[in-house]
Amino acid sequence: MAFWTLYKREFTSYFNSAVAYVVLFGSALVQGVQFCFILSAVTAENYKDQSIMQIFFDWPLFWLLILVQVPLITMRVFSEEFKLGTIEMLLTAPVREWDVVLAKFFGALTFFLILWLPVALDLTALQLFSVPPPPVYWSQIGLTALTITLVGGFYISLGVFTSVLTKNQIIAAVLCFAFLFAAFGVSLLRWIQHTDATVLDWVSYVSTPEHLQNAGVGIFDTRPIVFYITVTAFMLMLTKSFLEGRRLKG
Amino acid sequence: MIEVENLSKTYSGFRAVQGISFHVDKGEIVGFLGPNGAGKSTTMKILTGYLPPTDGKIRIAGFDVVTDSIEVRKRIGYMPENVPLYTDMRVNEFLRFRAELKKVARRKIKERVEIVKGLCHLKDVENKIIGTLSKGYRQRVGLADAMVNDPDLLILDEPTIGLDPNQIRSVRELIKDLGKHHTILLSTHILSEVELTCSRVLVINRGRIEASDTPANLTKLVRGGGSILLEVRAPSADIVAKIEALPNIEDVEIVLPNDGEWVQATIFGKPGVDIREDVYNVVRANNWPLRELARKKATLEEAFVELTQD
Repeated sequence: MAFWTLYKREFTSYFNSAVAYVVLFGSALVQGVQFCFILSAVTAENYKDQSIMQIFFDWPLFWLLILVQVPLITMRVFSEEFKLGTIEMLLTAPVREWDVVLAKFFGALTFFLILWLPVALDLTALQLFSVPPPPVYWSQIGLTALTITLVGGFYISLGVFTSVLTKNQIIAAVLCFAFLFAAFGVSLLRWIQHTDATVLDWVSYVSTPEHLQNAGVGIFDTRPIVFYITVTAFMLMLTKSFLEGRRLKG
Repeated sequence: MIEVENLSKTYSGFRAVQGISFHVDKGEIVGFLGPNGAGKSTTMKILTGYLPPTDGKIRIAGFDVVTDSIEVRKRIGYMPENVPLYTDMRVNEFLRFRAELKKVARRKIKERVEIVKGLCHLKDVENKIIGTLSKGYRQRVGLADAMVNDPDLLILDEPTIGLDPNQIRSVRELIKDLGKHHTILLSTHILSEVELTCSRVLVINRGRIEASDTPANLTKLVRGGGSILLEVRAPSADIVAKIEALPNIEDVEIVLPNDGEWVQATIFGKPGVDIREDVYNVVRANNWPLRELARKKATLEEAFVELTQD
């Protein structure tokens, strides 16, 4: 009950500030431009080995976008409450810390998923206007959507965590970006020559681009699912303890 | 309603509250007085369950603040100092959100929000964004928020700070009205406010309770429970000597020594004794021309200064 009330407030609050619209506009623009670019390249070269979606998610700009989106979404969730002092008002209402943390996490995740709607629109447009329409593989689409949600969940839990550390939104955003870069940077080892084979094995467990590639070709793998759910839950627990810690410190 | 036993709070070595005990009964309006940094806000934050006590036992409406925090929070309305609010929300939207959060029954939310808007005179700004409201209105939104779940106990941390005299008066009237059905604990620096609204005063200084009594009794505690101002034409030394000879006199102070002309003196009697007649008799017996003989009522301000200054 308290969760639902807080979740509604968190989600709608994104649309009360200009940041949300700027991020939404920026994301749609970058996604659209990339899409057009890939589409024209694929058409010009008559490329048949990979689907549009696969190329799309293997594209470096795509990752850059996520690394910028998430800090912008999560930087204010707790920092602003600490700065305005509203955290006191919030935590003296009959709500538990878990309600607050989960509401903020799911509110941010919902907004993150909305940022991906333009891609769905781009793909729908492709479907509607190509003659003949390309075949639709629902398993690939479903798995990709699931993987984006899980990856988004993990990244957002990192962002929510950095936001509970400080009352300064900029510091929260920069810390979040650094953490995301570290979490994502591990997967770059794949492109570094002479990396040890056992290291590469480990990297593939945590490499987000690999997970998305697998989902893109329709491979269902439970390992990344367990991985993302576990690390997300861990980050949220950490957030909850830090929130309690900050309150108890006074 | 509130029972506090031996409450202590230490912040990284600094003892903000040092073993205080007090109780507030149902239906009382209790004023919490003390200089800045005395421990008022800390105590209030502990009562609302926001801060944990370092030591001591606090029960509100029979529930322990530490172990039954949620039950306690359901029963209190708290208005923190400086009234933090979500500045991006509209007044109506904010009050509905808070009512829902404080577990007001769904079918009653609309009614409660209307009632508190009426009580706090917020109807004309109900659709405005909180960030655009003036300080006075924000203060009232904070008060409306504290009352929206119709709590048994209201804890208000400096509810009138930053308001203009008219607004202070209207908030004071509101608190008096609320006191008919609620128990209220409020902190303030404005002593006249306490005299007018509170049935009891707790004076706190350096983390300790210095006094707990009605405003009227507290002013009696001050030296002599009020003093007498005397203005006569007589030598200062004579005045001191002859009046100090009276029983029940604690002290005579010459305010304006002006021998041969009018001399002003302040006379302090023992607590609870009216010395005006005795003083008058001395004046008449000595044939001193008299220009003024008046009782100065001790104010709560004097009580406050005397209790909190070392």
